[in-house]
Amino acid sequence: MSKTHISLSAQHIVKRYGGVLALADGNLSVQSGEVVALLGANGSGKSTLSKVITGVVAPNEGALLLDGRPMQFASPQAAQKMGIAAVYQELSLIPDMSVAENIWLGHQPMKWGIYVDKKAMRAKTQALLDLFAGTVQDSLQPDEPISALPPDERQIVEILKALSLDPRLIILDEATASLDSRQVGRLFELIANWQAQGKAIVFVSHRMDEIFRVADRAVVLRNGRSVGSTLISETDEQALVKMMVGDETIVPRQLTLDSISDEAPVRLKLEQFHSEVLRNVNLVVRDGELLGIGGLHGQGQSHLLRAVFGDIPFTGTMILSGTAVNFSHPRQAMAHDVAFVPGDRSSEGLLLIRSILENFQLPSWGRYGFPLKMGQARADAESVADELSLVRSSLDAPVNSLSGGNAQKVVIGKWLRRRPKLLLLDDPTKGVDVHTKREFYNLLAHLRQEGTAILFYSSDDEELLGLCDRVLVMLDGRISAELSGDSLTHARLVSASMTADHVKGQEMRSGA
Amino acid sequence: MSLRWQLKYISLRHPYLFALVLVVVAALVNYALQPNLLEPRVLNGNLRSFLPLMIVAVGQAIVIMGGGIDLSVGAIVSLVTAVIVTQMSLDASTGHILLVILLACGVGMAAGALNGFGVALLRLPPIVTTYATSFIFSGLALWILPRPGGSMPDTFARWYRQAMPLGLPLGIWVALVLVLLWYFLRNSRYGNNLFAVGGKAEAAYATAVPVTRVLFSTYVLAGLMCALAALALTLGTSSGDPRIGSAMTLDSIVAVVLGGTRLSGGQGGVAGSILGVVILGLIRNIISFAGVPSWYQTLVDALIIIIALAAPGLVQLIRRRRIS
Repeated sequence: MSKTHISLSAQHIVKRYGGVLALADGNLSVQSGEVVALLGANGSGKSTLSKVITGVVAPNEGALLLDGRPMQFASPQAAQKMGIAAVYQELSLIPDMSVAENIWLGHQPMKWGIYVDKKAMRAKTQALLDLFAGTVQDSLQPDEPISALPPDERQIVEILKALSLDPRLIILDEATASLDSRQVGRLFELIANWQAQGKAIVFVSHRMDEIFRVADRAVVLRNGRSVGSTLISETDEQALVKMMVGDETIVPRQLTLDSISDEAPVRLKLEQFHSEVLRNVNLVVRDGELLGIGGLHGQGQSHLLRAVFGDIPFTGTMILSGTAVNFSHPRQAMAHDVAFVPGDRSSEGLLLIRSILENFQLPSWGRYGFPLKMGQARADAESVADELSLVRSSLDAPVNSLSGGNAQKVVIGKWLRRRPKLLLLDDPTKGVDVHTKREFYNLLAHLRQEGTAILFYSSDDEELLGLCDRVLVMLDGRISAELSGDSLTHARLVSASMTADHVKGQEMRSGA
Repeated sequence: MSLRWQLKYISLRHPYLFALVLVVVAALVNYALQPNLLEPRVLNGNLRSFLPLMIVAVGQAIVIMGGGIDLSVGAIVSLVTAVIVTQMSLDASTGHILLVILLACGVGMAAGALNGFGVALLRLPPIVTTYATSFIFSGLALWILPRPGGSMPDTFARWYRQAMPLGLPLGIWVALVLVLLWYFLRNSRYGNNLFAVGGKAEAAYATAVPVTRVLFSTYVLAGLMCALAALALTLGTSSGDPRIGSAMTLDSIVAVVLGGTRLSGGQGGVAGSILGVVILGLIRNIISFAGVPSWYQTLVDALIIIIALAAPGLVQLIRRRRIS
């Protein structure tokens, strides 16, 4: 057996982050000449499992067998030494260094033992770049600084950097996300070559068509557990989706509300909405409607909400309350009764060390004159706090003394004071306990009854299924499907999250 | 490559070009005010007076390129100065002189190692760490040498003041040696690692670069440079002042910035920093020969830092104005 031969097997891997179980029972095995696709819905633990294999995180339990022997990687370097290299989505390139310097960082070709052999480094880089010749611009040269490259070429440099280590096992974690179809085609030719050379490949992707093109076998994770391993030749897309979703259980409705009639006034209408990330987004939200936005992480959902809030420039038509608007600053959106609850509440939603009172009143101080009518401000804040049943010692307690769920209530509460007509929610229940979630759902119902239009992005599929009448699924900055009524099932949601089938989505669009 | 990237590329690879232009301009102005500037004796004296700061600035440049900053360099210079003058005066034999030089280097590196321990191993912010240690070092300097004094062996000091190997001032030789050493360092694996750590430490870590070791080494190197600078200072004045280094901290940072090294790290060079020191020295000459009060020097230093810090933001602001 040649030295390139490798077999790796992760068995019963458990990983906890604090109290959260990210991976309950992760199993994956791969060997030379094999392409294994690792797939699963949001939060199923696939990136945790691939990070365990590459030594980025240490597992709490379980065994990692490399060539039949148990292994523990203390760091990514240790895994690299054993011939395991990973291509990550979050790029690991140094912007001000050149393509060649980045690719060979840490293992440069040397002259006389101490001196970096730039000529050899350049030549070897050119040889690597030639692998993608024809699919990239001519300007992609060894001496080009990374900061001058567009995202797809950076991703290619990242792939070549992993390849420069001549690894036995390559993990491609969503490595095709920013590549165009020709580049993906070239990558798949290369993967076929690596396979023939006896390398092992783990391919993490959410694009179903790619999995069927390139993989031999698929390993499916669901809620942190490996639920199956199947040969690609013996399965189809539906079967895989079913494995990811599990037995088709009906998610209990969290709320029962009268459906919104088509006569309710349109609060927000987007037509041919484009931005750096978004591609031709069309949507309509009516007063009193809770419109869900789903899909895998980072498909443009947060971007869409920010664009509506005037935080990110866009092109296309945005009609708010019957008038066309194009906000260039969140201030203007606020003046039009739009409110935004950001995804990262500690950095964007709250002044952590300031009091609850100050956080509540931050967007509203203008109403209290000069000098501020503190008594009135306090009374108003108390009433909002009561409305939200905020657990508090006093309004003067700093926000960082609150639990995650109660802190999130403060973020929402500061906008409630302004009685928004359109509420944008960016994954608001992340890291919120079940009890507070329940209260939050009731609050949403209350707001709907008052006629507030709500655009609700959630990474929790069950929440979308349980709360919304209509869910838009986003993929690569587009709306890949609109689900409502009978089509709003978990299987359809997951399948739409992973299949780039825009046409189907547009056809399913109800006339608005 | 588009023109914009070509310009960016040049500024990344040759950060000293801007400083070179400034040196020429400052030298011309200085020459107009002080016509005997190019006489060998004057030139040698001038360059020799730049020497200590030149060496400190090289150490500072390496720390800044690695993404840190060292606010204790002045205090380390003071500390090593105190050690040198108290020890040198004990015995004038060559063996003893060499021993004291080694001791000085050791003290400087130990001081740098303390900084490196705080920044690289304890992960404390470099500004806080080195500001705090600077008080330790200045305190030690005053404890060893409570008031200015001490002496240096005469023959050694005289050699230093008059040496002009091959007819060139000693300052030029030292600068050449420093640039040459940097050239080798920059093209070694260490140089690549240094830029990677300063450019994006997380990415460097994920790429198997020994981030902690690299960070630690930059502070030790800076400490060593401070020790050599202290040696040059004591030889130049034949005595020691336990507060002599205090002005060098800010000056070294200004020189590094003038030399085209970005304060956020990951880019820059040593040649530019040396030119930065020369520019500062020439500006000082100009101010004194133009009959302007010397405290303007501090104002000029401050302006240089503010402009250097604000420049990237200003460029962005102008660009945004042009778009909208």
